[in-house]
Amino acid sequence: MKGASISALVLAAALVVAFPRAGEGQAYRAPRTASGQPDLNGFWQALNTANWDLDAHEAAAGPVLQLGAAYAVPPGPGVLVDGPIPYKPDALAMKKKYAANALREDSEVKCYLPGVPRMMYMPYPVQVVQSASTIVMMSEFATAIRTIYVNGTTPPPADTWMGWSNGRWDGETLVIDSKGFLGSTVGALDEEGAVHVRFLDRAGNYHTDGLHVVERIRRTGPDHLSYQATIEDPNVYTRPWTISMPLYRRVEPNMRLGEFRCEEFVGDLVFGKYQKK
Amino acid sequence: MRNLMVAAIVALVVAGVAAQGPPAAKGTYKAPRTADGQPDFQGYWTNLTYTPYERPKELANKPFYTEKEAIDAFNTAVAESQNQVVHYVNSDYGATPVQTGAKPNLRTSLVIDPPDGRIPPLIPEAQKREAARAAAERGGPLARTWRDDRGTVWCVFHDRVVPAVVAPYGSNFHIVQSKDYVVLTYEWNSEHRVIPLDGRPHGTVPTYIGDSRGRWDGDTLVVETTNFTPKRTFLGSPGMPGAVSMTRSFTLEERFTRTGDDTIVHTYTVEDPATWARPWTVEMPMHRIKGPMLEYACNENNVDAFTTLRNARAQEAGKLPPPDRVRNVDDPKATVIQREQKSDGAKK
Repeated sequence: MKGASISALVLAAALVVAFPRAGEGQAYRAPRTASGQPDLNGFWQALNTANWDLDAHEAAAGPVLQLGAAYAVPPGPGVLVDGPIPYKPDALAMKKKYAANALREDSEVKCYLPGVPRMMYMPYPVQVVQSASTIVMMSEFATAIRTIYVNGTTPPPADTWMGWSNGRWDGETLVIDSKGFLGSTVGALDEEGAVHVRFLDRAGNYHTDGLHVVERIRRTGPDHLSYQATIEDPNVYTRPWTISMPLYRRVEPNMRLGEFRCEEFVGDLVFGKYQKK
Repeated sequence: MRNLMVAAIVALVVAGVAAQGPPAAKGTYKAPRTADGQPDFQGYWTNLTYTPYERPKELANKPFYTEKEAIDAFNTAVAESQNQVVHYVNSDYGATPVQTGAKPNLRTSLVIDPPDGRIPPLIPEAQKREAARAAAERGGPLARTWRDDRGTVWCVFHDRVVPAVVAPYGSNFHIVQSKDYVVLTYEWNSEHRVIPLDGRPHGTVPTYIGDSRGRWDGDTLVVETTNFTPKRTFLGSPGMPGAVSMTRSFTLEERFTRTGDDTIVHTYTVEDPATWARPWTVEMPMHRIKGPMLEYACNENNVDAFTTLRNARAQEAGKLPPPDRVRNVDDPKATVIQREQKSDGAKK
């Protein structure tokens, strides 16, 4: 699956994400909220395969035979701008090991909070509710929520699954700086509940508690956002690297986030061996 | 240290009662506005209170305390709340009554209607339904699966948040508003409600947190909520009246009114003809607190569930002594959990 075809796919992906549609893009001026900020309110969703693999990837069989085509991996050009992901040699070996054990290691399977940036490109809508001082972003997945403190400078008071996000407006662009991420289930009592590292996708790409994410989000049209995230983690990468993708507005009338409390669907999986039939 | 603490409580109490005021004082305060021109409820709030949910029978004809009585009742409740065997120092975790922002209340109960301050009795069909549910929920003293102990190990949904009931901690809220939505995030399980203000109709899909619709009535936010899932219950946490199922006919109407710079009065009326013969109403004070509020990750490495289930299996196999909670709870060294279990039992 490696080789020249991947490089070509990566190049193609970079070209696709670099060129917005005609009539939209850098020159677009977003409508303003009452307090004068670009208006990011709404329901947004990625329409790509980034949650399967941030990197370019061929179609592949899924990890569960019985699920057949329903959980097979769809192909994708990837969302890396300057990739492949610059893993340190040891970290790349670990990535391959995690990929081979993804069903056990991926926190998505256990319905754990997805973190940042993964929440933004999971195949679930994200609702943005924006006030002048605070922006909340909510994912349908696991009813996850993150709070962005506009012009905030407070450092993370503690490490959390969703991290701590300070934001600022740079013209049309919301720039969000996030740190304070848990890298694993600290003090995990049992292997079934343990997540040793945080996955960025289902392919085993991962980060540690050294994660630092800088996101740049701006409107490129009435129903599109440009989403970029630069990901830094000196524990595992040799340099910062960037993903880029459009997010699309969910335009259904009366759109709402559904209540996907997946905790309800993983209890028997996670606690099964201690349960009584 | 002790004297300092008491002084702080007294200072807080005086300010608290003055700010809370009797209901007659409502309507004179004009809430500040958001940039969109709507009453501004944003910020951090707590609904922690030491006022009992239902009125004690001896106060049946006394819905209000005098200010002095309110302060005395608060101080007594605070003292009792500190008379617990705990395994850590509450103040280290910002968890003493002074730190949490709870204040005295002139009301003698949170239930304000019916006038005796007590929840109406369950209708006969509801009594049968609840007895059957309670019997099915627990097969014995030891948890069989992760579903069995909703009090401590169940992370799907924390049902103390909607409708709001009294909880010993985690009773904090963060409110964020845009033109079209109010988002209420609760500290409990980081539960959040997204309340649309655009007049859209209710949906049809049942949910744990309910399907809320909001509108402004002057300075008051009115929220109507339906579509609760019958999989969940209401009430039933420690110190509360027993749990009842929420049926598909359960409706909730809430009113949030700013009554001062640092206070919101939150009233709600619950109605379910499948459970009670009449609607009933609660008034909960909310006080401003200092933020921020951190993430409550419950499902992530759920230590309570692992220990509860693993120990239950070990106890069945005779490899561990029986669980603490079946020991004599009159033992003065009994843990908080044992005392809660006992008070739960006493209410049933």
